[in-house]
Amino acid sequence: MESAINEPLKQSTSQANKQLNRSREKWSRTWPLHLMLLPAAIATFIFAYVPMSGLIMAFQDFKPYDGMLGSKFIGMEHFRFMFEYPDSKQVIWNTLIISGLKIVFGLIVPFVFAILLNEVRKMLFKRVVQTLVYLPHFISWVILGAILTDMLGSEGVVNQVLNGLGIGAIPWLMEGDWFRFTVVVSDIWQNFGFNTIVFLAALSGVNPSLYEAAEVDGATRWKQTIHITMPAMIPIAVVVGTLSLGNILNGGFDQIFNLYNSLVYDKGDIIDTFVYRTAILNGQYSFGTAVGLFKSLIGLILIVFSYRLAFKYAGYRIF
Amino acid sequence: MKKLLSILIVLSMALAIAACSGSNNGNKPANTGGNTGGDDAAPSNAAAEEGFKDGKYTTPVTLSTVWGLNQNGSVFKEGETIEDNVHTRLIKERLGIDIKYDWVVTNTNDAYKTKLRLMLSSGEEMPDVVVYRGDLETVNMLIDSGQFMPVGDLVDQYANETYKAGLDLDPTIWLPITRDGGKMALPILDYAYNADHVMWIREDWLEKLNLKAPATIDEMETVMDAFVKGDPDGDGSANTLGLATGFKNGFSNWMTDIGFVFGAFGTMPGQWNLSADGKLEHGSINPAAKQALGKLKEWLDKGYISQDSALLDESTGAELFTKGKAGIVFGPNWLPAWPFPDLLNNVPGAKYKAYPVPAGPDGKIGSAGGNPPANGYVFINKNSEHPEAILHYYNWFFDHMANPQPGSEFEKGFAEGYDYATLPDGSITADIAKYPELFPGLKDQTAPPLYYTLTYEGARIPTLYAETHVKLAGGAEPATPYEKQEFNTRLKENTDAMKVVMDQQDIRMKNYYMGPLTETMQSKNELLNKLLNETFSKIIYGQQPVDAFDAMVGNWKKSGGEQIKMEVNEWYNSVK
Repeated sequence: MESAINEPLKQSTSQANKQLNRSREKWSRTWPLHLMLLPAAIATFIFAYVPMSGLIMAFQDFKPYDGMLGSKFIGMEHFRFMFEYPDSKQVIWNTLIISGLKIVFGLIVPFVFAILLNEVRKMLFKRVVQTLVYLPHFISWVILGAILTDMLGSEGVVNQVLNGLGIGAIPWLMEGDWFRFTVVVSDIWQNFGFNTIVFLAALSGVNPSLYEAAEVDGATRWKQTIHITMPAMIPIAVVVGTLSLGNILNGGFDQIFNLYNSLVYDKGDIIDTFVYRTAILNGQYSFGTAVGLFKSLIGLILIVFSYRLAFKYAGYRIF
Repeated sequence: MKKLLSILIVLSMALAIAACSGSNNGNKPANTGGNTGGDDAAPSNAAAEEGFKDGKYTTPVTLSTVWGLNQNGSVFKEGETIEDNVHTRLIKERLGIDIKYDWVVTNTNDAYKTKLRLMLSSGEEMPDVVVYRGDLETVNMLIDSGQFMPVGDLVDQYANETYKAGLDLDPTIWLPITRDGGKMALPILDYAYNADHVMWIREDWLEKLNLKAPATIDEMETVMDAFVKGDPDGDGSANTLGLATGFKNGFSNWMTDIGFVFGAFGTMPGQWNLSADGKLEHGSINPAAKQALGKLKEWLDKGYISQDSALLDESTGAELFTKGKAGIVFGPNWLPAWPFPDLLNNVPGAKYKAYPVPAGPDGKIGSAGGNPPANGYVFINKNSEHPEAILHYYNWFFDHMANPQPGSEFEKGFAEGYDYATLPDGSITADIAKYPELFPGLKDQTAPPLYYTLTYEGARIPTLYAETHVKLAGGAEPATPYEKQEFNTRLKENTDAMKVVMDQQDIRMKNYYMGPLTETMQSKNELLNKLLNETFSKIIYGQQPVDAFDAMVGNWKKSGGEQIKMEVNEWYNSVK
């Protein structure tokens, strides 16, 4: 590793002195910058690319004591198993529904909330609200899970209120459809603060003269929102949406794992919890890796696809 | 100048990276050195034997391990930790063994198991000993890792008579960890019958409502009905339950058990029972389970058990009892030590008592239990320099703590001011609430140094506990220090409960399958367990009709259950 770093140093200093053609000259000006990039590049290589070699496990009958090199290759066996497994279809479907709802409402809610908050003229109030809605983001699901189980239980606070109103208790965590509802709502409650901040940042960049001009033209507050505020937010909304599409196969392991139970397996079991039970609990690491690889592939395809769409329709480039 | 500065910065970064990678490389030779050291284990063993004189290593040896802090073993005196406390200091002083913890986690949500499994999956080098108490899958993974040695010879050579006698009580104790005739781990002995259940009832509720303790499921229903409708807690609202349950983890539980309902109809779910034809069968698909599910559904509908039962595990389920909400809970004899103290905190003046497990409509009584008295395993690294050290350690606890002789050093407990204190009149106490000044550095709870030990509770002679308590329950005066200690540290309710257990010895239903996971189990267990748990829960909650049970059984059989049954019986025929 030492030589790899020293080599360009020697080369560039000696050669830059001999020849002065343009690219070389540029190189001689910028090589320290490249060199400074090197540690980051190496770290990325070590921590992001080297572990990818572990994907080889997906095609092996991996045994921890044989190691990655000693385990037997079995080809696509785990992928076959994954698709032939009776529960797979349902689990994938559950994941798509739960995370699809999370993505859609995870966009709409902060979008609307950011517009509302943007209309608030009291700076202090705005800041306080902004911070408060962001706070739940930092609470671990282990804790939230216990709190929710307690609050949403048959005799929890929520159902006591519902009983008091004469509506009757709702099986928030014990009936499949309500479980999905609970999961999506609690996820949005936990995370919408982050996207709200992103949207608010986009709004702070809108040129005030646009609003002034609109006012001169006699546009109402509502019209200003529709014709100035919202178009200003669309590109960033497209970006946020695009990035979250890559997560469509992540239903949120921490959350589901801490909330689910055998009553809601049919509607609430997602790929990650399923893999946790089959692969991790039964020591089938290869199978777990295979599912992980499958998920990454789908995620990659979706990101590329939606990125194209974003570029085509919103004219937005991320890279 | 600027350029020079940036070059300097970059160079120093490069050096740092080089240094890091250098130290990584440096690790390798050290590792291989350790391995070769293990390969010629024989000479180093001989050396170790020489080093252990008069019960102590002349030159202290290091015993590395990893640890999950359990709730009952995480009360420490001010300034002490698991790495440095009265236990580690004592072991170093007496045995010359320096216990080193590679890592320690707080064992909530199976964190210790998860961390061990991650260690296995990344092929990390294991410490000298790994102690594990829990599911058989992890035990198998540890064995299969190939990092641990067979212990048969070590036991023959180093184990003392007490440990050997305990192992000989039930030779099936070795079955779960035997591979090709090799015994791959040291069983940690437990008090036999210690996991067997009794029915705990709020005695004050029975008295208040003028009821007698139920002996059958029918009578139990009468009692539960009264507990639900009779406002036994006297707060004026009908907010009480009959039975504390929590079946998030399954339907035969170590606490908040409902397996007895199945037992009353003649089966036990989640385990392999011996059927009339001499074959092993899975208890969850026995038709008797259908009747039990019907019963549980009825109880849920009538409000005898909590609507949240499917969300609760054993600990959270037991809180229903300790919060004073439920009047009955099924569990082991030692619940008065934990978690019942919480009940007395929450409901001052509460009284509870153990009763026999009730009988079903045909007089059948069944409760899971009667398994060999091992509650964990110690795995010894095959490259360990002193594989025998853990046996010396365990022996020491058998010799000094398991059944101390009158007048010996530990006759009162582990350490003064930790788990006991001496009153001015010479008697001993563990009542920290009454004598806080005798337990300096502790609040509310005494510190349990025995629970810090690598073998979880020091050492236990399987028969000792039950025999002692049956004797004490019969009204005998405590004679030996162990009897006195038990008499002083255990509550009377605990003692009486053990008598109840021993009187019901013949109702225990043992899990007959003790082998490793079979091939089909590995690929199908999850599918089958999910099927069982989901259907069971849904039947109890009325989300599926009771008759869904029959479809489930068919499904179970054709999804691999039949195949597993065959494999299990193959194993059974090979060992019986």
